[in-house]
Amino acid sequence: MNPKLVTLSVNHRTHHVALNPNTTLLSALRDLGYTDVKSGCEKGDCGACTVLVNGIAVNACLQLAWLAEGQDILTVAGLGSSDQPHPLQTAFADFGAAQCGFCTPGMIMSAKALLDERPQPTEAEMRKALSGNLCRCTGYARIFEAIEHAAKQLNVDSRG
Amino acid sequence: MSYQILGNDYFRKDGIGKVTGREVYASDVTLPRMWHARVLRSPHAHARIKSIDARAAQELGAVVLTYADVPHLKYNERIVSIPPHLYRDRTVLADKARHVGEAVAAVAAPTEQLAEKALRALQVEWEILPHYTDPLAAQRADAEPIHDSYILNGQEIPVENNVAVTRVVQVGDIEEGFAQADHIFEREFVTSRIYHAQMETKSCVCDPAPDGSITVYPTTQSIHNVRQLLGEIFSIPLHKVNVKRVAIGGTFGSSIQMNSIIPICVALALKAKRPVKLVSTREEDMYDHVRYQTKLKLKIGVTREGKITAGHMQALADIGGHNIQAYALLSVLAGWTASLYNYPNLKFEGKAVYTNKTPSCALQGFGNPQATFAAESLMDEIATELDWDPIEFKLKNYVGLGGTFWGQGPSVQSIVRSDGVPQLLHDGAQKIGWRARPKPGTQTGRYRHGIGMARGFHTSGAGAPKPGEVIDYSGAFIKINEDGSVDIVHAMMDHGGGTLEAIAKIVAEELGVPIERVGISPADTLTTVYDVVTHATRGVYAGGGAAHKAAVKVKQQIFDYASRILGLQADSLMIEPDYELMQGVIYCPNFPERRITLGALAKQLQVNSWGTLAAVESLRQVNCPPAYVTYFIDLTVDTETGQVTTNRAAIGSDCGTVVNPAMAIGQLEGGLSKGMGYALVEDNQWDAQTGQLTSKGFWIDGKTPAISEAPFVENIITHFANTYEPSGPFGAKGIGEAATNPCAAAYANALYNALDIRFTELPITAEKILSALAAQDERASRASDYLENKVVAVMQAAE
Ligand code: FES
Ligand code: FES
Repeated sequence: MNPKLVTLSVNHRTHHVALNPNTTLLSALRDLGYTDVKSGCEKGDCGACTVLVNGIAVNACLQLAWLAEGQDILTVAGLGSSDQPHPLQTAFADFGAAQCGFCTPGMIMSAKALLDERPQPTEAEMRKALSGNLCRCTGYARIFEAIEHAAKQLNVDSRG
Repeated sequence: MSYQILGNDYFRKDGIGKVTGREVYASDVTLPRMWHARVLRSPHAHARIKSIDARAAQELGAVVLTYADVPHLKYNERIVSIPPHLYRDRTVLADKARHVGEAVAAVAAPTEQLAEKALRALQVEWEILPHYTDPLAAQRADAEPIHDSYILNGQEIPVENNVAVTRVVQVGDIEEGFAQADHIFEREFVTSRIYHAQMETKSCVCDPAPDGSITVYPTTQSIHNVRQLLGEIFSIPLHKVNVKRVAIGGTFGSSIQMNSIIPICVALALKAKRPVKLVSTREEDMYDHVRYQTKLKLKIGVTREGKITAGHMQALADIGGHNIQAYALLSVLAGWTASLYNYPNLKFEGKAVYTNKTPSCALQGFGNPQATFAAESLMDEIATELDWDPIEFKLKNYVGLGGTFWGQGPSVQSIVRSDGVPQLLHDGAQKIGWRARPKPGTQTGRYRHGIGMARGFHTSGAGAPKPGEVIDYSGAFIKINEDGSVDIVHAMMDHGGGTLEAIAKIVAEELGVPIERVGISPADTLTTVYDVVTHATRGVYAGGGAAHKAAVKVKQQIFDYASRILGLQADSLMIEPDYELMQGVIYCPNFPERRITLGALAKQLQVNSWGTLAAVESLRQVNCPPAYVTYFIDLTVDTETGQVTTNRAAIGSDCGTVVNPAMAIGQLEGGLSKGMGYALVEDNQWDAQTGQLTSKGFWIDGKTPAISEAPFVENIITHFANTYEPSGPFGAKGIGEAATNPCAAAYANALYNALDIRFTELPITAEKILSALAAQDERASRASDYLENKVVAVMQAAE
């Protein structure tokens, strides 16, 4: 099959790109310059490539880019920026939930999907939502803390 | 001691880049005209290459490299050891595959897809050779040689029976020592071959310039060592080799050596005459590096009074297809053993054997998790058998204050000058409820509870009074900018644990400048002075020490120039941060009105054309202080499933002055996660038939712990000793690798406490627990049958 022109909407920006049918969303995004989406295994093992597609956390390495046509894709770079970080990003930085930082973009996006659905997640819900995201540096303890803190922050923000 | 800056937590300088995805790792580097590379790797564990037909690949427009096209210089990738101890046994591409996944050819093409296509078009004719996944089989007299020879100190040395290296280390006379013992204990311990499982796979970008120079962006722990090796292999003068520091996505020892893909990427770029990017797949990465698997036979003699008289360790290490650092491994296995307990007589006999498996290298702790697992398990057993509290028994025999610590084998020794072990053991015991722990063998029922303890350490660097077998020094360049802000130019890598952050704090503290005005410059090998490598827990102690030395120099210049301007003696001046001005302020306590900000001083120097306040210094630490760690684990075993749940952990650290409190705690928590994985689940198993990983390169099948099994943060208690290391910058020593070393033994000892069973083989999986329980049941029922029969017999006799 030949490449086809696909329209991808990433972080509210529209891209028209010619993509092969077997190109994964992960390589399409990284080729477009979204290097904040990390590649850890390309097999669905590690979660480093997690992005939100229409609000749902997916492993971009397991999704074909063609199938993301017309969907809303959000990566960690679109979640917040250095002058306006999302509370999850601030909490991950403040609580030491990012050491080497390679798992962090995917981890934050899985956490974002969780908090969108469950604003006050239980410990078990956190474990379940993040079970597909490996982190070798932190031992996960600070990640729990960061998410709990961000959840509180977001709940305050949404009430206030 | 009170500090302005040390010991406080600040918003991490690299934090925001990481959480917004802006941090740049090697695989994120993209350059104009760049091509993509793929590597052809052997599907066979041991096979000679008869021929490679590259025509079809070349017709696709790819650049192709085979053994014939690369320099044939044999190199050793870890130039941390001094040249006489570098065992050179590999080339850029192999002439013979010595393990599955060995690189035998490589291609570069304009796109990844085309590179993959070209790779598949390569035709290789193999001659399959017998292969060995077991070091005992590899040593048989009739075994096929994995290497015929290696190069050591310029000499070609033949390899006999696939033994890569042996080493014997002796202190005193063990025969005499064991003769003095009232009790002798001996056990064999087997440790597993686990994968580093760092998140980022090894990657590299190389950019060749028309003048013959190259710029390289690699995954590495040492930019300078990569530079020197590339210069040597490709015969490029070093001023034309620039290696850039990029962020590293975890490493845990797997990039101390120059990664095998780096010279491949360089060779492709030189041939293609354009930038080339090479990113390993996860499967390739899993065939590239693992922890040393060891068999350790440990024998300890003790007197009736509980004093050790002798120790004997026999070690067999399975090193895989290449000798990355087996000599150093045997040295440190001896060294960690000698430094854990006072053995008046000690003998270490080590042997490292080639097998047709992934080459082994350091993995957080370099031989220490293995040695500590053996020693701490056996010491717990001895204490229990002799009716000692393990804490008291260990305190009686450990190497502490005033003792000799071997920081990196026999050639790196120094005297212990700070020791928080008694405090850590005391505090940890209290926090976990040590006195209330169950008595082994008293529990019945499905769920059984246990508490176990182990202690250990890691070295802080590999410095010593004498030059050792390893190179250990760092360098730093510090300059004051014309607004009073500070640049630190330092080649050290930060693996995410906050090493560079700590270095910035040490400099800020010494110079009296707010940390917000201290910057860490991007680094490359052209603009930095040599730093050996971030390993051996030397970051803060040695890297920070070098920066401190340069800062002291700069501070003297500051006072000398300020004294001219203020008209006061240089020795009467002080400098302190002023957070309103966001500046260091130089003043004299006796004349508070005579003051000048550091910015104004630096600007004045510039206006007067006096020069820049700057210094560059190298430092070799002449000590290697132990960073002690203690572990207490409280767990529950489900005797029906064999599952182990960690209820609580108390981890104590003696890292001297705590420079980064939050990051230090993070290191301990990360250490627990990796240590728990090592103790209970992680194992990279090899299929003996094929020499392949049974996981087939699927990462989770190697069992890297996920968040599902992580202990919750409230259940991890971390605590610190109140110590000051006289030889460290502001009293600091290391922490990083120490954080996992005793963990596996603490689990094994807790399992003994719960089940009355000693486990000596890692990982202690649910299956192993269940089969040990079944064996225990059988023994018990045999014993009770025996008893019953005896009772019947006695009753019959009575009748
Ligand atoms: S890269 Fe997608 S799950 Fe690992
Ligand atoms: S921070 Fe390094 S893998 Fe998570």
